[in-house]
Amino acid sequence: MASYLVRRLLYCVIVLLAVSFISFIGVRATFDPLAKFATNKDVEAKQREKVRLGLDKPVIEQYGRFLGNFAQGDWGVSESTHESVASMTQRAMSNTLQLIIPGVIISVVAAICLGVYSAVKQYSPGDYLFTTLAFIGIALPPFWFGLMAIEFLAVQSKTTFHLAQTPFYFVGLHTGDGSSINADYARHLVLPILTLTVQIIAGWSRFQRASMLDVLSADYVRTARAKGVPRRRVIFHHAFRNALIPMVTVMALDIGALFGGLIITEQIFSIPGMGRMFFAALNTGDAQVLTVWVVVTAAFVLLFNLIADVAYGFLDPRVRLT
Amino acid sequence: MSFDSDVSPSSVPTGSPRFDRERVGDFQPGDMATQMESGLGQENLPGGSLPDEGELQPGVEPVARSQWQLFRRRFLRHRMAVISLLVLIILCMMCFGASWIAPFPKNNQDLLAPVAGPSGTHWFGTDTIGRDEFTEVLYAGQISLKIGLSVALISTVVGVALGSLAGFFRGWTDQLVMRVTDLFLVIPQIVILSIAIKKFGQSDTMIALVLAALFWMYTARVVRGQVLSIREKEYVEAARAAGASSSRIIIRHILPNIIGPIMVNATLAVAAAIIAESTLSYLGFGVQPPSTSWGNMLSSAEGVIGTPRAYLLYFPGLMIFVTVLAVNFLGDGLRDAFDPQAHE
Amino acid sequence: MTDEPPLIELESTSADGSAPTIPGVQGDRRDIHDDPNAPVLEVRDLSVEFKTDDGMVKAVQNVSYTLQEGETLGIVGESGSGKTVTSLAILGLLPKKAQITGQVLFRGRDLLQMNERDMQTIRGRRIAMVFQDALASLNPVFKVGDQIAEAIAVHADTKVATDDDRVVDLLDLVGIPNPKERATQYPHEYSGGMRQRAMIAMSIANDPDVIIADEPTTALDVTIQAQVLEVFERIQDRTRSAVLLITHDLGVVAGVTDRILVMYAGRQVETGTVDDVFYNPSHPYTQGLLASLPRLDQRRAGERLYRIKGQPPSLIFLPPGCAFNPRCPHAEPGLCDVTRPELVDVTPDHRSACHFAADLFAGKLETTA
Repeated sequence: MASYLVRRLLYCVIVLLAVSFISFIGVRATFDPLAKFATNKDVEAKQREKVRLGLDKPVIEQYGRFLGNFAQGDWGVSESTHESVASMTQRAMSNTLQLIIPGVIISVVAAICLGVYSAVKQYSPGDYLFTTLAFIGIALPPFWFGLMAIEFLAVQSKTTFHLAQTPFYFVGLHTGDGSSINADYARHLVLPILTLTVQIIAGWSRFQRASMLDVLSADYVRTARAKGVPRRRVIFHHAFRNALIPMVTVMALDIGALFGGLIITEQIFSIPGMGRMFFAALNTGDAQVLTVWVVVTAAFVLLFNLIADVAYGFLDPRVRLT
Repeated sequence: MSFDSDVSPSSVPTGSPRFDRERVGDFQPGDMATQMESGLGQENLPGGSLPDEGELQPGVEPVARSQWQLFRRRFLRHRMAVISLLVLIILCMMCFGASWIAPFPKNNQDLLAPVAGPSGTHWFGTDTIGRDEFTEVLYAGQISLKIGLSVALISTVVGVALGSLAGFFRGWTDQLVMRVTDLFLVIPQIVILSIAIKKFGQSDTMIALVLAALFWMYTARVVRGQVLSIREKEYVEAARAAGASSSRIIIRHILPNIIGPIMVNATLAVAAAIIAESTLSYLGFGVQPPSTSWGNMLSSAEGVIGTPRAYLLYFPGLMIFVTVLAVNFLGDGLRDAFDPQAHE
Repeated sequence: MTDEPPLIELESTSADGSAPTIPGVQGDRRDIHDDPNAPVLEVRDLSVEFKTDDGMVKAVQNVSYTLQEGETLGIVGESGSGKTVTSLAILGLLPKKAQITGQVLFRGRDLLQMNERDMQTIRGRRIAMVFQDALASLNPVFKVGDQIAEAIAVHADTKVATDDDRVVDLLDLVGIPNPKERATQYPHEYSGGMRQRAMIAMSIANDPDVIIADEPTTALDVTIQAQVLEVFERIQDRTRSAVLLITHDLGVVAGVTDRILVMYAGRQVETGTVDDVFYNPSHPYTQGLLASLPRLDQRRAGERLYRIKGQPPSLIFLPPGCAFNPRCPHAEPGLCDVTRPELVDVTPDHRSACHFAADLFAGKLETTA
């Protein structure tokens, strides 16, 4: 197991290096750091800036410098806000995590319950209901759902129920400068987490249902029944344990993707997380932030890929990670 | 045994293609000849062993059905899939026939038109500059659907080509395809798309190309997996022993047997492409005016939340939703029609 | 060893006062409701139908047989003859949509009328089943010892450890070497033959009255087959369980069973003792089966192997009259394609469902090959 981990980590590092390279080159090719000199006729100023940014050196060397700095913890400075990218990232990440963590917990619990129920009671009215909801959830464009949620659950319900304020807030995580965890905070969280979880639960519950159905028709479940094992144990001990294996993989991979994927939600609800950071940088052409962002996000994706594989090996004794 | 994770991550909230994970591994393409099945009885007698004497008595009715007929029967049993197909056809006809159907000309700004929601003259209401929303939605649909379909088409063709080469020849072709797709699938979709679009421009065509350039990777991985499992089958070995060239084997033996997952994949790619395009357009990285798409319309409608014009939010999003829903049902129906054993 | 009373009341001593034969199982497990005069298993007029899109599949029609204490009955037939469905019906393991009629009397009690809770006390304890594909039939994520322990624990209301003595003894009984170590291993770590033995061990864990073995040797190599069959014999000697052996392999049947029942297209076509049926087959199908066995001693050079012409019929569209008549060399138009033959006695213990059974038995009709 140890050697497997080492090899996988090595692989992750290599991929991360490749990603950083692509990211660096890609961003460099798309955004010209000297763009602000487009209208400025001052050639000398432009030249000085060029040297200052190290742009006169060959690209490979620039990349090397970037990489070296990055590895040592110097993630550079934002070109637009002049803030350290590292601290920007930290702040943004903590905000994103405030959405991801509760969102994932809710999604995991809900998806597993719905999926198992749907599979065990296949073709029941409940199953049809959940399947329909799942299809709807998968088809809903997430940004549209977010907008509609704001419109109906917040704005219109204020009018309909004659409230002083909208029941749920949709700008940022706190009102004003507050930062404590209280009712106000909760009201800010509801809509973004709802938007976030709808699609995830829809997809995961379908997968769980399918996985469970597969397992329930397996021979070993028939054997368990033939042994006289009570129905409940057959479902939750024999079947569920096997259905969980692919489910965990899928969940781990999707969670990893979430770290870069909250862009829409954060945009709609003005949450200053990783997604918004990316967008701000994209719009201002902030190359340093962009490059670092891609590497950090990719690192999380790779981390969760690794978790997915390890979890699989852990859950399925037929797969021994060597 | 070392464990190679072939499953690609999907960025959930951006509506990325889930089709690559939709139980692809469960599809067991059988040899075409052995796929003549139904129920527990024998409906099809293989030609060589028809009884020579003692003919089958009347009352015994083996009904020979071709694979296409079996497929069609299974598909038609899916009410939702059939309804979805009809809905999609109608939708396409309406959008692409907008010049004939739309009650108003495109981009007909009429600042004197009433600021109102759905009404008799304006089925979807009017927008902020007086245009008939229904008309705009129809025309926007042309772009959204066109992009969705072309992305699916291009990415499927490229993905099938590269995926089958990778899966069949293995070796460094395989490694190359796998590593490249590994790389790009680790970076969040939106990121790749928005940076690429920023770089290459925002024309409709370019957007479609950029999307296709990303989507082929999902298809390629799926196809590669399928090809890997098929190439071990006996009939491939037999074909090779008979002297068939590699390309002949791929084209005539392998591809026809994986047409099922390919079709399903392509269908779901349409849905994913539509969502991706609309998301990008909503964020400002997609279709640019004067071109309109559904996502585009939603982006400009963002400001109407809380105003009396809030209804402008409903319709473009509804169109996307209905289209994607229908496509998903269709894909589900296709999947079941190709392989009824995948579900109960 | 703990001995908690199970959910069903027991008689304190067995009818014949014999010692327990499976280690750890105390007493001869009979329930108060057992009828001591009834045979162990009696199937009466069992029919099973499934509704499919193409029509009603008549998987089993009017099958009746009796299984006595300690007897081995072989149910023989090709794929699709209904033999597996029959056995699944006994234990109530068919899908809900199956339509079952008839009676399955286990020591006098009709299993088909039993509710699920009571059935659960029968399954694995009084009637146990061994399935064909041991790799698919054992749960891949649990240790083998765990699964055998579960078979005991579920009926004993206690916890049983993975390497409990009872589990280890069972594995030893079926001939698995290093049983203590093997109990902590997973199914994929066993060989095919060992897995099958483990399944057998699981089935006898509670000293059942009946063991149903559904093609237990089909997935195995011939040499392993012999070993597994030998395990069955050993088990039977010790436990006096009745065995229902389902197979398509006549060789297996000949070696191990006392009586056989031949099935075709969902119906039984011939029953009798093994010797009787093998030496005096009284049904054209049975004769065809026996004739198609390749034999080294009776063939002349250049002679082709015999095969029964035609294909088994669709279970939805069965031919009128006798189901075998399209393929039967003795079929008489007007009789065989109109009237379905009932089971008739050719000897008191040997029955055949053919209009010409008596003639076939007496050898009056020219048999095949």
